[in-house]
Amino acid sequence: MKRRVVITACSAITPIGYDKADIIDSLRQGKSGVKPLRDDGLLNKHIHSRVFGTVDYPIDYGFKRQYRKTMGPVAYYACQVAKDVLEHSGLSQEFITSGRLGVAFGSTHGSPTVQRDIYRTFFQELDAKFSSIGAVDYLRSMVHTTAVNITRMFGITGRVIASSTACTTSSQSIGFGYETIKYGMQDAMICGGADEYDTTTVAVFDNLLACSTAYNETPQLTPRPFDSGRDGLVVAEGGGAVLLEEFESAKRRGASILAEVIGFACNNNGGDLILPNLEGITATLRLALEDAGIAPGDVDFISAHATATKMGDVIESQAIEAVYGDNGPFVTGLKSYMGHTMGTCGVIETILTIYMMEQGFIAPTLNLQNIDERCRMLRHVREVTAAPIRIGAIQNFAFGGVNTCLLIRDGKAMDK
Amino acid sequence: MKRDVLQEKILTILTDDFEFEQPELSDNLRDDHGFDSIDAIELLGKIELLLDFTLTREEKEKAMGIRTINDILDYIETIASSRDT
Repeated sequence: MKRRVVITACSAITPIGYDKADIIDSLRQGKSGVKPLRDDGLLNKHIHSRVFGTVDYPIDYGFKRQYRKTMGPVAYYACQVAKDVLEHSGLSQEFITSGRLGVAFGSTHGSPTVQRDIYRTFFQELDAKFSSIGAVDYLRSMVHTTAVNITRMFGITGRVIASSTACTTSSQSIGFGYETIKYGMQDAMICGGADEYDTTTVAVFDNLLACSTAYNETPQLTPRPFDSGRDGLVVAEGGGAVLLEEFESAKRRGASILAEVIGFACNNNGGDLILPNLEGITATLRLALEDAGIAPGDVDFISAHATATKMGDVIESQAIEAVYGDNGPFVTGLKSYMGHTMGTCGVIETILTIYMMEQGFIAPTLNLQNIDERCRMLRHVREVTAAPIRIGAIQNFAFGGVNTCLLIRDGKAMDK
Repeated sequence: MKRDVLQEKILTILTDDFEFEQPELSDNLRDDHGFDSIDAIELLGKIELLLDFTLTREEKEKAMGIRTINDILDYIETIASSRDT
């Protein structure tokens, strides 16, 4: 059994906005969500990169304590966007709790804020140690905390898939959710990811010399995907969710269909856990086209992973050229607006692509002033471009050698 | 610690940390305030801090029979008096 899978609701908390209108405005106006790194009282003064893609606006969560008690900051983002998609979907409470709705949701490493609080006990007097480790600290910090706080809050009894593959976390969530529905295991899935403000992630990439450090005084000028002046990634925070549904049942209930997921691929480089791998990435892009049953020429737009690291952007450019040839699809590096939201980037970039599909424009790569010679072969978007995206590709690659590619079709361009 | 002082401190914890609304001493913790096993463990940690001693595993297991706020006060008094002797 192979069933069609559609996206019927989406919501994203991003450094460039939470409200859809704010996000679209930021994309149209070229507004960056990268801000100075906040003082965390621990690692901050040792980190060379002084920038972070920051969610700095208030969010009115309104969660009852009954739910809050098992939630770290990462689960707040997750439950908020999950709440949004369920509200927007109009799905009945009976369906939500029927076992036919599942959750595919993850984060890079649970809640580092809570983990840090646990670590503090190591530096306290012995007697205070045990009582200061709260009973709920594990539930707040465990790697599947986002997925199961969502199931708990909404009484969801279907499958749980808690991907945790760094930068491909939420693209895997969508891909695995798509396959779960396509092959009949569930009728709908809430899919996405979240990651909270965390300086330990910055410290890791900083030590690997992968973080941007040259634009500390002008945060909005970094990251710079594909630009010759790029100097690394900018860590960011956020959350995003999409609701996937089986097409026929979504159509029957009159759901608004934003997009169709038409293909997904996920593979591994089978070797180095850090370096980007041309062969592995190229294979992923081809596998996704094969899964969708479309030709490279059918794709109008690529949301590149494009973290603005020195080699990552070059390897991705070569892979796109190898698959799509000359005069390929429009390419934008959406991380240029907000930095790298880690486990969340796949779902946020999918949602931004859906917004651009709906609005009929393609946002340019921000800060792309002088294209690196080695990335010049792509069809870079340099200014806001009025163009339809009938089919978009969302590419993400992670530490551990994991690669993903999602292909989505505009809901308006679907054969219904 | 006298019972009225203890009562005030426990009611403050239940109101501030567990967000109980207008708690009464005879209230059933679970039925009236949604208090569950996770909350019970969390409350024991707060009781340890309040009384400045560490509860033994046996003492903690006895707390699982607590049903009302009055039961909490009785439990603490029993533990405290056993420590005094």
